[in-house]
Order: sequence, then structure tokens, then C-alpha cells
Amino acid sequence: MPLEPPVALGPFRMCVDPARAAAYARETGGDAASVPLAYPAIWLAEPSLFSVVRDLCGELDVVPVHESQSFFYDAPLVAGESYDLSVTMSREETPPRLTLVATVATPGGTPCARIEAQLRLVPRAGFGSLS
Amino acid sequence: MSESVKVGDKLPETVIGPFDAPSLARYAEVSGDANPLHLDDAVSAAIGLAAPPVHGMKLLAAFEPMLRAWRGDLIIASLAGKFVQPILRGETVTLSGRVLRATENEVLVRLVAYGAARAPGIIGEATLRPKAAI
Repeated sequence: MPLEPPVALGPFRMCVDPARAAAYARETGGDAASVPLAYPAIWLAEPSLFSVVRDLCGELDVVPVHESQSFFYDAPLVAGESYDLSVTMSREETPPRLTLVATVATPGGTPCARIEAQLRLVPRAGFGSLS
Repeated sequence: MSESVKVGDKLPETVIGPFDAPSLARYAEVSGDANPLHLDDAVSAAIGLAAPPVHGMKLLAAFEPMLRAWRGDLIIASLAGKFVQPILRGETVTLSGRVLRATENEVLVRLVAYGAARAPGIIGEATLRPKAAI
């Protein structure tokens, strides 16, 4: 059950950095021949976006723990190309959870992918010095 | 599909890791996920873990090369996973897959990543389609 209306974030103009995509592929066992399916996880961690999550968690005195992640593609991402990332963030109380749903589209508006991340919100007590 | 895929088909298992601290640090740097839970022994110990857990995304993303090696003639249209139990630094990880549904236009594969305890660390799914379909 959502606690409050979802919050819309963005759109954020993001680029598939070829060097970073290749590095991400190497660190996940790939061959860098194509942009990894999971590459947009990098975008979700970008400070311009994730700062909203971090600030909310600070207010709630909780730590976000990655619970699930999904990527659904209409078209593969292309290294060197830019995309617009539009995010909807919603919060549930039981269990305490944040859900980020992001759509990826070309600058011309053609949909490419949909990404969903669920973050379980765990009380900071017990996480020691985690920040 | 150029080669038939049947419900119940098992993908060849892939063994990855064990991942050491520098490996987790490299993933943190490239991904931007610098959560100290994955990098700092004191933080993981504070919640009762024997070692920092490997980033779930590092493991979920590792299914992609396994799927491409299995059926490079298909496009992976979706990849999803639930991080159900931490897999810790130093553990060998086994990636497995089994076909749950197969039609002319789509193959659904159940994915599981196991750590040292052989208990599932990630339970996921992938959808693969003929190249012309995406």
C-alpha cells in the first residue's frame, strides 16, 4: 500500500559512456561487445538521482538495501548514445520499501527500456557506521 | 527459433568467483555503488555477516554472459532478480538456469545464483526472443 503519491524525478539526460560500459562488462564477466543489460544500474546510482533516495533515508533514519532489480528492453542501448531517464519513486510502509521505476527513452522520445529497483528500508540501528 | 528450446532444458552451469576485496572495490568504482556494506568488514560484521556481501547487481549482471553463451542467436529482452540471501566475499558462485516456458517467439528462463551454502542467493528470470523481435 503506497504511503503517499509517487514522486516523479527527472527526466535526467544520461549517456552510455563507452569506457565505463566496457569496464562494467569486464567486472560482470562480459566481453564488452555490447552495452551490458544491467548498465542502467549505474544511472540509478548517479548522485543527481540517488541523492533523493539518500536524503529520504536520512530523514527516516533507515538504510536502503537492494531487494530486487529488473530490466525490460524494447531496444538495446548503444555505447556513446544519450538517453532520457524518467523515474517514479514510491514508498510503501508494510514492508518498508522504496520502489524506483525508470523509463529510458531516446532524446526523440522512443522508448528503449523500463527498469525497476526495489529497496528495502532497514532501520539504521544495527548497521553500525553505515552511512 | 533456429534450434528448439524445450521446457525443462537446463543451461550449462557457470561458476564465477570467488571475488576478493579488490574485485568488489573495482565493481563499486565502476558502478557507483560505494555502499560500505560491500567494502568494509566492520560494517558487514555489525550486521552479523562473516564477510562483506558481493554486490547483488554484480552477480545478477553475470547472468548475461551465461545466457549469451547458451543462445547467442537470441536477444535477451529482460533480466530480473530478487536478492534473497547475501553471497559473501570469498565464496564461489554457481549460476544456473532452466527453461520455464518456450514458444516460437519467447523463452522464459529461471535463473538461480548459489553461494557456498548452495542456498539461493539470487532468484531471477530472463526472457529471450528471436533477434527480429526486439
